[in-house]
Amino acid sequence: MTKILTKHFDEPKLHELETYKRLDGYKGLAKALTMTPADVTAEVLKSNLRGLGGAGFPTGAKWGTVPPPDKVPGPRYVVVNADESEPGCYKDRVLLTRAPHQLIEGLLIASHAIGAKESFIFVRGEYQNQYDIVEKALKEADDAGLTKTCSIKLMRGAGAYISGLDTALLETMEGKKAWPRQPPPFPTVAGLMAKPTVVNNVETLSMLPFILREGGEAFAKIGSPKNGGTVVFSVSGHVEKEGIYEVPMGSKLRDVLELAGGVRKGHKLKAVIPGGTSMPPLLEKDLDLTLDFDAIRAAGTFLGAGGMIVLDETADAVEVAHNIERFLTHESCGQCTPCREGSFWSEEILERILDGKGTAEDMPNLTRMGENITGKVICALGDTVGVIARTWQQKFPEDFKKRIPHGQAS
Amino acid sequence: MAKRVKFKLNGTELEADEGRLVIDAAKDAGVEIPHYCYHPALGNPGNCRMCVVEVAGAPKPLVSCRTGVREGMDVKSNSDAIKRAQASALELHLVNHPLDCPVCDQSGECGLQDYYMKIGKYQSQVREDKQHKGKRIEAGPHVMLDQERCILCTRCTRFVDNVTKTGELGIFGRGHEERIEVTPGMTLDNAYSGNVVDICPVGALTDRDFRYKVRVWYLDKTDSVCPGCSRGCSISVHTNTIRPWHNDGKRVARLKPRLNPEVNGYWICDDGRYGFGNLDADRLGRVLQVSPAKKDVSWETAAQAIAEKFKDGVAIATSGMLSNEDWASLKNAFPKASLYFTAEPDQVGVEDELLRKRDKVPNLKGAENLGLKSGSFNDLEKDLEAGKIKNLYVIERDLTKVWGAERAKALLRKAEFTVFQGPNKGELGDFCHYRLPATAYVEEEGHFTNFAGVVQHYKKALDPIGSARPDWEIFDLLHMAMKGVPA
Amino acid sequence: MSAKTAVKSPFSPEQEKALEGWTKAYPYSNMGLVEALRSVQDWNRMISPEAAARVGEIFGLPFNRVWGVVNFFPTFTIKPTGKFRVGLCHGLSCFLKGSDKMESCLEKTLGVKKKEVTPDGKFSWEPMECLGACEQAPALQVNDRLQGAATEQLIAKLKDLK
Repeated sequence: MTKILTKHFDEPKLHELETYKRLDGYKGLAKALTMTPADVTAEVLKSNLRGLGGAGFPTGAKWGTVPPPDKVPGPRYVVVNADESEPGCYKDRVLLTRAPHQLIEGLLIASHAIGAKESFIFVRGEYQNQYDIVEKALKEADDAGLTKTCSIKLMRGAGAYISGLDTALLETMEGKKAWPRQPPPFPTVAGLMAKPTVVNNVETLSMLPFILREGGEAFAKIGSPKNGGTVVFSVSGHVEKEGIYEVPMGSKLRDVLELAGGVRKGHKLKAVIPGGTSMPPLLEKDLDLTLDFDAIRAAGTFLGAGGMIVLDETADAVEVAHNIERFLTHESCGQCTPCREGSFWSEEILERILDGKGTAEDMPNLTRMGENITGKVICALGDTVGVIARTWQQKFPEDFKKRIPHGQAS
Repeated sequence: MAKRVKFKLNGTELEADEGRLVIDAAKDAGVEIPHYCYHPALGNPGNCRMCVVEVAGAPKPLVSCRTGVREGMDVKSNSDAIKRAQASALELHLVNHPLDCPVCDQSGECGLQDYYMKIGKYQSQVREDKQHKGKRIEAGPHVMLDQERCILCTRCTRFVDNVTKTGELGIFGRGHEERIEVTPGMTLDNAYSGNVVDICPVGALTDRDFRYKVRVWYLDKTDSVCPGCSRGCSISVHTNTIRPWHNDGKRVARLKPRLNPEVNGYWICDDGRYGFGNLDADRLGRVLQVSPAKKDVSWETAAQAIAEKFKDGVAIATSGMLSNEDWASLKNAFPKASLYFTAEPDQVGVEDELLRKRDKVPNLKGAENLGLKSGSFNDLEKDLEAGKIKNLYVIERDLTKVWGAERAKALLRKAEFTVFQGPNKGELGDFCHYRLPATAYVEEEGHFTNFAGVVQHYKKALDPIGSARPDWEIFDLLHMAMKGVPA
Repeated sequence: MSAKTAVKSPFSPEQEKALEGWTKAYPYSNMGLVEALRSVQDWNRMISPEAAARVGEIFGLPFNRVWGVVNFFPTFTIKPTGKFRVGLCHGLSCFLKGSDKMESCLEKTLGVKKKEVTPDGKFSWEPMECLGACEQAPALQVNDRLQGAATEQLIAKLKDLK
């Protein structure tokens, strides 16, 4: 099976510059520097690379919205979003640990494409070990003169899941609370300190060396229509072999589950969350779905950042929904009323149901509230509050009903 | 020049400047879109989510406070989907809101109450205990904070950050642990602190001065002008005459700013806002001969006696409290009098970049425009001391503030004949021969001209007390008496 | 940025220098604020209003803005944490692998309830949101460094930390 990011993961010293260079490291950057920025962007567009931090937006298209330097002179920036905080996702942590130079190379390629002379890697505060590794790799790159086209600075976060959202990330970097902005303008037009800024995920940027070395078309071929290349799934939960698994876009859900050893022995699959806890779950009947952004969207959920959590029959939907709403309530930035109040209220209702004090109105109420919140808030976290309130009871009404005397789904 | 574009609102074709916020363009057309966090002077954070509208072509509802009008835009603010969205946004504001209405001053002018009656009217589904937060927090000398009632619209923090730039309030915490708090180590005591009460849509920030005094639905509201300084901020005088047993019978309940883009925008300073104590205390209502014997007299009798004296000349000590009408009548009645009305030394104070002006009287400009010139109170003092003043006419000027109480009393004894005129008795009310009750500005109609030459009209909010008359009417009376015309 | 002080700074000269350094670490001085506050949290195991006010002065930012940042991010605390701040993830994957039970183990072993500090100031523990180590559920970290899956043995070894 084709691997791009984890191809050399059996090499223990992959994080060292010498080893990385030996394994075709920085060849993609060298190629990119012989091309014009516009041509680099065109190559990435051709590759069908989609944003792997959660939104799945075509990376080449995002870069294309950055105004050209002659139209908007002055600084422009690339920011690496290493603030991975979606429950279920840890692939960025592994990529930072094992292949920091792959990321640095990708970052330098992106910086060339949009004309950035300064870029930043924003690492979540809780990844202190990864920060140290990247810092060391960065020093190697600096000493080898690799960052002469664009200097790279590191910055740590201070917790808060919401600072992983691109506009909230920029707010944090500007020394403010991580309150998401409301585009327009979008970050590529006015981002960090109102300068054009591209915010890209660790995994997304790590794909760039391959794209520049082998060509966008070759990348697009691995994968499914409009979803080029591979995708790394962080698999956890009730499986035999938790870990990251890189598969081509368009692989079947069933295949990834098999790579992870399937549901743990002696248990039966109940649900699979494909992209991190914000995403609605899939069921046993969905195992033949193809894993790419478009197909999963069509199936009513999202690929997100590929945080695949497997649940067996011991998992209770009410407990799961409560756990996720508690997370969302805790992490809500509080800026807009529906998310701030709705998340807390959902958590309270679910807690009451867990305590055995649910009433017949609770399930229809959660559904109604969920419908009222999604689409009417400032950012995706709020949307998720509404989605979670609805989907777990829709998919597993029995788990709810058995806790609620005379309970009913709406 | 902005381009004019055509757009549709609820099916009606309208025109507006391109880029004008949909919420404002709708208001121009008479359509009120519910909102809390948006304020034209404080920005549009779009966090309350009440003002959502449907725009054809947009995948989800947009907040109209952050959406600009474009050519051909098709906006709906009254569709079933939007009505549901508004009601649900309101519901989420109320989920943790305490049912304080019976004890909350905001009742009757509360954004939550008003919208609930307009677009809510649903049954609450809350079965949980509401969150408990801080209550009765004395945020500053004028403002009381109740965190449970707060809907976190951020208007108040934006005010202290961007308007007064004093930062005494902040939002601290994350998510449902957010609270609006007084910044540690500070107190909300800037010179404009009362404005946060106006902009707070709910009862989270309330006026300590107004607390529990009278219910707002008993108040009459009259357009007026603040007499606190030469800015002449547009205000609204709120009076209670329907329930005289509330507020200890005081008629003026509070003053609020009135929007005037030319003069004061949306704000007034605290001095102006809370400076109405003298309107219902120590008021004069009787026309009195004070010396040689205290007795009530009619206006005509007093006018005759005074005219007899003033015919020989008079020194007039007054102030910029007089209206344009007052100045005109004064000039007409006493064209040769020596006038002393400068704001120095006691009617000057702090001036700032926002609203407050140095002259703490509203209408020195009115005198200036009529060519009237003022001597200094130093000179008046010298002349009084030297016995050069026979007749002294004091109108709306507290001489104890000019010279100190004891000195003022001593100087007044040096004049032969003194007449006092004004709304309040003050300390010197008995140090004269005749005392004439004048109306306060809330009991008359008139005009002030502010420091920049803007003429503003103030209307009559209350009936005069006793026999009090406007200053200009009294001047006219004296004028006629001096001409020998029978009263 | 200016560093005028009306009152004595709560920081030592070396700390002041370090904080000043953060105003120059990035192209815009405000960008260094979160890192500067991280330093204060490291030194004092908490951030007091006085410390936050001094940081505000160094950065030329109003106090309520800095205090807002301090109260927003979970890394910053306004009450002291232990010298070793133990975090136990209670995200979904870790919850599925029994993080609840490990909470009682932590409470028993360290002898304090969550968010409380041991009398010698050495330890405090608290549940945390997803630490990005779901394959090592239930994940445990100390001072922002992942230690591995929380087991009775791993938790027992915490007491050896110096």
